[in-house]
Amino acid sequence: MFRQLKARFGSAIAMAVVGVLGVWLIAMVTLPQLQMIDYSFRPSLLPAEIGGPKDHWTLDNYVTLFNNEIHLAIFFKTLWSSVLVTLLTLCVSYPLAYFLAKVASPGQAALCLLLLVIPFWVNEILRTFAWFILLAYSGPLNELLLSMGLIERPIRYMSGDAGVLIGMVYAYILFMVFPLYNAIESLDGNQIRAARDLGAGSLRTHWRIVIPHAKPGIATGCIMTFMLAAGSYAVPALLGSPGSRWFTQIIYNWFFAGGDWNQGAAYAFMLLVLCIGFMSLVMRLFKVGLADIAK
Amino acid sequence: MDGSVTLQEVVMRFGDFTAIEPTSLTIESGEFFSFLGPSGCGKTTLLNMISGFLTPSEGRVLIGGEPMTNVSVNQRPTAMIFQNLALFPLMSVYQNIEFGMQVRGVDRATRRNKADELLDLVALTGSGDKSIAALSGGQKQRVAIARALAVEPRVLLLDEPLSALDLKLRQHMRNELKAIQRKTGITFIYITHDQGEALTMSDRVAVMSAGRIQQVADPETLYRHPQTGFVAAFVGENNRLAGQVVERRGELAIIEIDGLGRLAGCAGGDMAVGQSAALFVRPEHLRVVRPGQLDVARPEQPCIAKLESSPQSTLEVEVETLSFEGAWRMLEARLTANGERLRILLGQGADGAVELAPGERVHVGYNPGQARVLVDDGSPRLDTETGEVVEAASPGGVQAQEGDHVSPA
Amino acid sequence: MSAQRLLDWGLRFYIGVFFVYLFLPLTIMAAATFNDSRFPTIVPWNGTTLKWFGELWADGGMWAALGNSLMVAGGVLCMAIPIGVASALFLTTVESRAKPFVYGLILSPLLTPGVIIGISTLIFWRQFDVSGGLFLTILGQTTFISAYVMLMVMARLQRFDRTLERAALDLGATPWQAFRRVLLPFLKPAILSAAVIAFLQSFENYNTSLFVVGYDTTLTVYIASKVRTGLTPAVNALGLLLILFTVILAIVYETKRRRELKPKGV
Repeated sequence: MFRQLKARFGSAIAMAVVGVLGVWLIAMVTLPQLQMIDYSFRPSLLPAEIGGPKDHWTLDNYVTLFNNEIHLAIFFKTLWSSVLVTLLTLCVSYPLAYFLAKVASPGQAALCLLLLVIPFWVNEILRTFAWFILLAYSGPLNELLLSMGLIERPIRYMSGDAGVLIGMVYAYILFMVFPLYNAIESLDGNQIRAARDLGAGSLRTHWRIVIPHAKPGIATGCIMTFMLAAGSYAVPALLGSPGSRWFTQIIYNWFFAGGDWNQGAAYAFMLLVLCIGFMSLVMRLFKVGLADIAK
Repeated sequence: MDGSVTLQEVVMRFGDFTAIEPTSLTIESGEFFSFLGPSGCGKTTLLNMISGFLTPSEGRVLIGGEPMTNVSVNQRPTAMIFQNLALFPLMSVYQNIEFGMQVRGVDRATRRNKADELLDLVALTGSGDKSIAALSGGQKQRVAIARALAVEPRVLLLDEPLSALDLKLRQHMRNELKAIQRKTGITFIYITHDQGEALTMSDRVAVMSAGRIQQVADPETLYRHPQTGFVAAFVGENNRLAGQVVERRGELAIIEIDGLGRLAGCAGGDMAVGQSAALFVRPEHLRVVRPGQLDVARPEQPCIAKLESSPQSTLEVEVETLSFEGAWRMLEARLTANGERLRILLGQGADGAVELAPGERVHVGYNPGQARVLVDDGSPRLDTETGEVVEAASPGGVQAQEGDHVSPA
Repeated sequence: MSAQRLLDWGLRFYIGVFFVYLFLPLTIMAAATFNDSRFPTIVPWNGTTLKWFGELWADGGMWAALGNSLMVAGGVLCMAIPIGVASALFLTTVESRAKPFVYGLILSPLLTPGVIIGISTLIFWRQFDVSGGLFLTILGQTTFISAYVMLMVMARLQRFDRTLERAALDLGATPWQAFRRVLLPFLKPAILSAAVIAFLQSFENYNTSLFVVGYDTTLTVYIASKVRTGLTPAVNALGLLLILFTVILAIVYETKRRRELKPKGV
């Protein structure tokens, strides 16, 4: 490997490339993850006890999770809600991506893409904060609905999961729209026309032609959205209530309120396993590889 | 300055594949030398060994008598003109030309003077500040030449540099390249699959196929006296009739061809009785002979197609097509005896007046002094219909029997 | 009207609604800045004021957080750009059986939740007695931002004609000169774009920073804590300024990128 780099760039740059890449992948990407996993299998000890007789591998931290009904429930709620966010985002994004890729004129598409990108340059916290204002108990949305007579009394959006779901769909939609758009755009428009000519209705054309073609994009979008949703801290922290806690908040509490990093590491590893599990499942279902996702 | 290039028993292997069979060759200083061959014959590999991009698996390369074994690409006294020219797109014409001098630490004023001089040489005076994108194909070509000459190479390597140009420009640039070579006196080593380029510009040409040099000679010798079947078929156009050697008679070799009997041609090298060989006759050396006449074209110079051992002295063919190509006409016909196709060039003389209808049977003859008999040496053959390289023929030498050599009388 | 046309109009209506959904919350948030109310809202409208900008200006915590954010972003740029460029060079140069594995490893930070990256960084550095703070924030963010840089640089590197490098060597350049004079200028636009994106990614990061920032605070972390404790429309004022800043940056970046995509004129 080094020989090829040296042949192309000379030994100075080759060494720099390998060195920089090595430090990153080993000291920043791999070792911290391994250390976290190692941590999760050890008991929480006082500094003096580390390396002593009590410092051995144990499953205790995971047993704690499985014995804590509340935490387990939050774990599964996080899983379920993240799937829901992913599906909602997919449904909201698909027509938009299809419009941008196949219906809009090039000028319209360029304008829409620009309009789409701009809000997402804005901080996730601020975007969530915007919903916080909109969804407030005596906020504009309730005022509007009250004045229109659609509701009798204001709704508490932020006491259940509704606020969190809405906020997340809003926060991560771009990660779904762009992969979808790229995938659909590469579809030959003639295929759609041919399907129409053959008498296929719109729904059937989408189901049989567009969606199969967009599979890598759908997979990428779903993986990214799920990962972001399951790993989100800002949205549930701002738009949720104590009753609608997210798994990331439990992890945070182990670190900074409970002070048990080993326990927190175990929870964090569970979250990682959840994301990797979802990713592998989607990649298998859609038969796509890692290279397709990086596009 | 000595710009000679010597290859000493160089071999290039990529894994199990041998791209260059053992090759030795000396290119003289100041020579315009071409490597001619179909794609994949190894000519670019040879060029890369000379420039230093590849290190030979065996053997060594000498430039100006000095071994280049431990001299890296950027220290060799060579400069390359790449097939796609590889001009630096983000630099101006000046910056491109001065690049080689700049990395050598030549000062600004000297660089600029030299660049202006070179722009004059390639007829681009005053274009130094233009961007590369603003140049036409021919202008880019010239900048590439100027950029290569700016490093004052002893050897200029040209890797099919004209292939991207259109036909007219290509022919024009041939003359320019030749003129620049004469003016500068630098050794030019030119790689091409276009025989027209190789033959018109070069002092000498090496014809290559399958990693082997088939023949090295000046263009005329290559055309008139090809030494292998591959060269005969690849350089110019040729009709090929395969058979077995049956006799040597002075300069002539006689081969027996299925259905046609015995035919004679100049022997191209040593050959043994029984060896597989082929007779090569160029289309312009075949003549149409009407029944009753010996030769409509040249009555005074009878054609001898066959030898006295057979009753006829000509070959009977059936006309397939006759196409008008301006200065001449090309007759395509099949031998009635074995169905093989012959191409016959009808010039503007008496030949040109001959009226021939498809399906008509006529006789053709040739002068054995203008035909060549070459043994099958196992080198690849060219498909005469498409011009593409076909599988290597089975080596003819195997069929020859030991001690069967017939030496010329 | 045919069913097809109906569907098309339906689609257009949907797109309209979508963009309202996209911009309405931000508009309301911006508007709330100017409402003379103690709590950020637009109903009821108590009169227009600019006083919240003044409050913001006087907020020392905000300025400290902004300084920290800029420092972190600078640090991240210094590390993530070389790492991203090196990875892209590696991936486009090396052909080996180990390459898919390395590629997977390089991409993995993009597919790992930000909180996990923060947590693992925090745990890893504990053994060296480095606790949460700006330094760890830089390291944590660099871990995944480098991968974004790699993707952007790689996209351009794949379009590089490697004979240009060969030509430079052939003309006498050292490999370093060829890199410096030929490849690097070619990569410059991609590196600049990557720098803009990396800056924003760092500036806006919350999930990773939350775990590694320690007792320091970045602007994003500061905003989040303000929203939960002591919320006033001063936060909106800050949000509005940040939105203006990012929107201007976005428009400059996008139009520049679009111009580059078009073939260059003479």
